[in-house]
Formats: sequence, structure tokens, C-alpha cells
Amino acid sequence: MDRRSFTFSALGAMAAIPLGGRAMAAGYPSRTIEMIVPYSAGGGTDLVARAFADIANQSLAKAIGVVNRTGGGGAVGLTGIARARPNGFTIGLGTAEITMLPHMGMASFTASDFTAIAQLNADPSAITVKADAPWQTLEEFLAHAKENPGTVRIGNSGTGAIWHLAAEALGKEVGATFNHIPFEGAAPAVTALLGGHIEAVSVSPAEVSNFVAAGELRMLGVMADERVAAFPDVATFKEQGVDLSVGTWRGVLVPNGLPEEALSVLREVAATAGQSEEFKAQLAKMNLNHAYMDADAFQAKIAAQDEFFGELMTELGMAR
Amino acid sequence: MFDFSMLFQGVATLASSPLALVMAAIGVVIGIFIGAMPGLTATMGVAILLPFTFGMDPLPGLLLISGVFFGGVYGGSVTAILLKIPGTPAAAATAMDGYALTEKGQASLALGTATVSSFIGGTGSVLVLIFLAPVLAGFALNFSAPESFALAVFGLSIISSISGASPVKGLIAGMLGLLVATIGLDPMGGFPRFTFGFPDLYEVPFIPVMIGLFAAAEAFKTMEDPARRLGQAARLGRLLPPWDKLRSVLPTIGRSTGLGVLMGMIPGAGADVAAFVSYNEAKRFSRNPENFGKGELSGVAACESGANACTGGALLTMLTLGIPGDAVTAIMLGALTLQGLQPGPLLFQQHADLVFTLFAGMIFCYVAMLVLGLGLMRVMGNVLKVPPALLTPTILVLCMVGTYALNNSMFDVGVMLVAGIAGYFMQKYGFPASPVVLALIMGPMAEANFRRALSLSNGSLDFLWTRPITVALLALALLTLFLPLLRWLWQRRGSRHRAA
Repeated sequence: MDRRSFTFSALGAMAAIPLGGRAMAAGYPSRTIEMIVPYSAGGGTDLVARAFADIANQSLAKAIGVVNRTGGGGAVGLTGIARARPNGFTIGLGTAEITMLPHMGMASFTASDFTAIAQLNADPSAITVKADAPWQTLEEFLAHAKENPGTVRIGNSGTGAIWHLAAEALGKEVGATFNHIPFEGAAPAVTALLGGHIEAVSVSPAEVSNFVAAGELRMLGVMADERVAAFPDVATFKEQGVDLSVGTWRGVLVPNGLPEEALSVLREVAATAGQSEEFKAQLAKMNLNHAYMDADAFQAKIAAQDEFFGELMTELGMAR
Repeated sequence: MFDFSMLFQGVATLASSPLALVMAAIGVVIGIFIGAMPGLTATMGVAILLPFTFGMDPLPGLLLISGVFFGGVYGGSVTAILLKIPGTPAAAATAMDGYALTEKGQASLALGTATVSSFIGGTGSVLVLIFLAPVLAGFALNFSAPESFALAVFGLSIISSISGASPVKGLIAGMLGLLVATIGLDPMGGFPRFTFGFPDLYEVPFIPVMIGLFAAAEAFKTMEDPARRLGQAARLGRLLPPWDKLRSVLPTIGRSTGLGVLMGMIPGAGADVAAFVSYNEAKRFSRNPENFGKGELSGVAACESGANACTGGALLTMLTLGIPGDAVTAIMLGALTLQGLQPGPLLFQQHADLVFTLFAGMIFCYVAMLVLGLGLMRVMGNVLKVPPALLTPTILVLCMVGTYALNNSMFDVGVMLVAGIAGYFMQKYGFPASPVVLALIMGPMAEANFRRALSLSNGSLDFLWTRPITVALLALALLTLFLPLLRWLWQRRGSRHRAA
């Protein structure tokens, strides 16, 4: 699959090159760049990578080809990025999992094995309940949860995945005990909520947007610093008195030790492509939240998140 | 009342957009090819083609993807019947009787029946989607963890009916599959089990194991006896199966289509489950169940109509609720969203015209599949004339390339080869391979959902007897499990009586 999709994207890129200005013709990159995506083709991370590569290729001398290397909940592909030869010809689209998997003993890398290029997208966790649920606000929901410990079932996309940790962090923050139910991804969790088999889900706004728009589900709040563009009416947790900001992110990462020239070219290209209107429009189409962040800010965020999840998992007894 | 004018309008719109028709046909061709290749799956095909549909209008883009989806489910049967290489997990069920028919020299009968059954199953399911979507929309929501657990147990019980001559060897093979299925991340705790430090083993490498057990094992077997040549036994005759044969399997096709639609609607159950369940029910209702596994035509018809009927069911849940039932519909959900068509309760109200044109296009996809499938039969049948000295290495190379393509992983190729060697010895000593595949599909489903159900009910086992669907499915499982055993004991007693 990937060889082929790679060829296809490479062909597409070749077609695009003569049109776009060859801003950086000299030096790096002297040959095709391979971008490892740790998740399967057609998924959210893959689509972000392909949209980014298509636009970035307009200003690169040699094209970026997307290669999906799946398995191990992302561990296989992320290891591939961290362990790649640091010559700039293997880069990757990394996700928040680099700050989570290492603490669970599920990866041979740590978050500090990656050098940040740019964050492209970030999606917060949101607490969503059924539209006919008795709780109108986050406050009412949390009050109910505190009064009835262990009875409020929150669905997530898998134990140790970002939405599970978000719900755990919420429980810890407000002093409530939830019953966390893992599913095989976000969609089955949302299905269970629709069927009334659980009380809430902690998945991203994009994953419930359809049902919130149709009036079947109600979003009580998002765990972000600012409100999500697609849901301006939904207040953040901070606005509702819970100081919590947890979510996933996707961004371009490279192994440590890249030559300075390659780093600067990649960062420049990522700044242009990552902030282009075309890229924003592509993300909006996929219901993904555009959140560009430059290399320094992104690197600092990774370090902070790594510490946050390390502490949280140690407290939850998930760290190994 | 159903608004027929919408459908007629849909057909008219479709007829006036030749591009959409061409795309649908291209999709079906690509799908059949992908389905027939071990390792290449419909999911993969849809994912690869998705970026190409971004620039297209919604109708041609979505029909291209639908064509790949439908063709991919059907295509798996071709190599399963001709070479015992199931291109898809669902076709592992078809291979049982399909390949037995090929060995008897009735490849064209098996292929023709598979094609016609796929067509009827698929078209039937799209018709259900068109006429009954609003009625059935909520069905998937009744399926929670306890129901999925019961369905998986029912699925596991089918091992007893696909075990062939020796139920004991079948059960051993099934247990082996269940053991392999415990490899990977614990579904509730997220802890790695039996992974020996390989992240590659965090998920059960199911497809590589299947390719190894069937295709590679078959290739190894041919190496042992290079003189064996299928081509002489199999002459491809007429394209369409004779009417009396077809008529005899029609009830099976009807029943399997219904089952397939149901399985398709249930989130988490797909064409593989549908094929095995349909096979089991065909055997249960058959007048001569002892012929199953030895080249029974209705076995082929059941698997193929069941698997293809899944497509309509899966689309029904995805379009009406916005819930993807499997990996393919998950990607299609993304495709629809990107086209500005948000699947879910509002889709039918806001985009009724396009939805009905799409439905008409899906019927067209299936007609194209029937024509192409029957037309390509002779070409594909020629593969049997290739001498084993050429065919066997080709198959092995395809196994490796297909396995590698799955995850870009050499580790998976190794898993495939190990499974191939295991499969060779299993075959040599009379252990069937299908129970392993079935256990690999159902084992993780049963485990995860049982534990999830326990967690949902705060540790109470009451869900086993308080939920009607769960009880019904568990009862069916018991029936399936013990019926063949009783029948077998009965026959043994009978033969002993005769001997005495």
C-alpha cells in the first residue's frame, strides 16, 4: 500500500514542482524526503501528513513522500522516526503519543529523542453527554459524579490513549471517581454513548461534532486554553472553573542530530505550508483544529506534556 | 411511505453522469484485483484512492470508493476458489468448499455461483439500505458490549461446524487460534502480552497469519508434490451456473443475504463474521450437512452472499447514524465528510437527492461486478493451467509482497512464513486452518467485549441473562456447539449398531 501511495504522492509532487517557485534549490534536500506516518492510510494523522506534504512540496526542491508505518498503537512508526539516520531524508508526523507511550514502557524511545519542526494541529478533549441527559452544565455533571463515585461511565478510545488520560486527569483534578470504559477507538465509544450504554465520552470535539450538530449529543466543555473554532458556544474547562488543558497534537518531528541546514529548511517550509490558507482549509474540511506552533514553542510543549503525563501515569499506577 | 420519485430521480441523475458510471466500473475492477491479492485489502484500496477523490465531484468520487469496497469483498473469493488463497478473511470461509469444488474439476461452477451469489447478496443489501434505512437505523445502537460478546461466542461456536472430518482436530486448531489471539495489548489494561518486547506484536498480526496458514502452506504443499497439477482437473466451462444448480442454492442466498445485512449493521462485525455465520446457518438448514467442506455449492453461495450483503448493512449504519461499522466504512465516513456530506441523521434530509443517486450508483456497481466477474472468469481461470513449477514461486512471492505491503514491515513477513510452516504441518496431519482464522477474528472480540461488559455493569454478570439479544445469541451458540456433536455421536452409535 505504502510503496504505492508513496509513488502516487511522489508523482503528484513532481507534477506540482514546476508550478511552485523553487525557493530552496541549492543544497538540502538533494533527494526525496520520506515522511513516516505511524498510523494507517486514511486516518486523521495520515490525512494531516498528506495535506501538509502536498503543500510543502510546492516549495521544496525534492518532494516529501508519505509512508505509513503502522503497528503498536503508533510505537512502531514513532520508533522509526526516532531511530532514523539524522540526515534529513527521514522525517515524521509525530503525535502526542511520544509523551505517553514511553512512560508506559511501550516504546524504546523517549520524548527527548525527537527534535521539533512545527506543530500543525491540536485537538482538545471534550466531555460530551447525551442530549437527554439530566446534566446541562459541566458543573452539574461533575457534582453528580462526585456524589455517585464509580457510577459515571466515561468512554474512551483505549486504555492509556490520550482520551483516557484526559478523563483520568479530570477525575484527579476535581476529586471524582469515574468508571473508565476503553473502546477500540473513538467511534465505538461514541456509538455506545448514542445507545445510552455509557454516560459520557472524553473524545475530541471533531469526533462528536456530527451528533452535536444533529442535537443528539451535548458537549459540556473542552479541555483547551481557548474555545474551539468549530464550537464557539462551548465553554472551556477553565472558564467553568476547572484548570485543565489536555489534548492531542500532531506535528512534524525529526530525530535528534539533524544538520543545521536541513533543520532550517524544514522549519522554513513548515512555517509557510503549516500556516497557508490552503492547509487551514484542508484541516477544516476534516473537522480538525488548526494549531500551528513554531519549533521552539513546540519543543517546549513536548517537554511540558512529557512531564505532565509522566506524573499523571505514575500517580495512576500506569507507569512502568 | 417510501418516496419512489426520489429513487427514480436518482437513477436519472446517475444516467446523465457518465463519469460517475465510469468511476464506479473502474472502482469495481480495482476492488476485484485488490481483493484477489492476498494482503491487499479493500480498506487499503479505499485509503489509497481517497486522496484522488478530493478533487472530484462527490458522486464520481464516492462511487469510485464504493466500487473498490464492493469489488474488494467479492474479489477475495476468486483466488480462494481457484488456489485456496483467500484474498480476504471472509474468503477464508469461501475457500473451504470453493477449493474443494475446484479439486473436483468444478471451478467454473464454483466461480459462477460465487459471482451470482455476491451480486444477489450485494444488490439485496443495497435494496434494504434504500427501502428500510429509516426503520433499521437504530438497530446498531442496541448492540453494546454484552451483545457483541454473545455474537463473538456464537462465532466461536461455529468452529464445531467448520471442523471437517474430525471435531477434535478442529477444536485443537480453534484453541491454537485463541492462544495466538491472546498476543498483543490487553484490550482493557493496555499491557503488552506475549510480545517479547516487539512493538510489532502489540496487535495480533492477523492477516499475515491468515496468508501464511492458507496461501504459503498450500505453496509448500505443492513443492512437496510438484507433479500435482490442478489445471488438468479443472476445465472452465460455461460462465453462468446451470439454472437448476442455481435454483437449489437460492434459499441459502436469501437467508445469507439477510444475515449479512444484520452482521454489516452491527458495529465491529464485518464481512468475515457474516461469511462464517452464513456458512454455519447454511449447514444447519441443509438436508445434507455432511457434504459441507467437501465441495458443497451452497457453502460457497452462503459465504459469498453473506459477505457481500454486509456492505449494504455497514453503509446503512454509517449513513444513517454516522457510525462506521468497520475500517472501510470509517474511511468512507471521512470521504463523505470531506465532500461536505456529514453522515448522520441529517444526511437524508439535507442531501436526499445525492443520497438516492448514490444508491442507484451502488446498484450499478453491483451490476458492473456481475458482468466483469463473469467476463473475467475465463481469464482468471487460466491461472490453473500454469504449471506448479511457475505458479508456486509466484504465489510465495505474492504472499511476501502482500504481507509486506500491509504495514511496510519485514517482521510481518516473518510471521507469515512461520504461520505458513505451521499451516503446512497442520494440513499434513489433518488439522483444518479455518478454525484458526475464525478464532483469531472472534477471540479478541469475545474477550474485549466480555471484559467491557463486566466493566459497564460494575462487575456484575447479570448481563448474560437479562438482555434478550445476548440470551438469544448465547442460546444459538449452544445449539451450534452441541448439534454436530450429538449428530456425530448418533452416527457413531448407528455405525456401531450396524457393525454389531
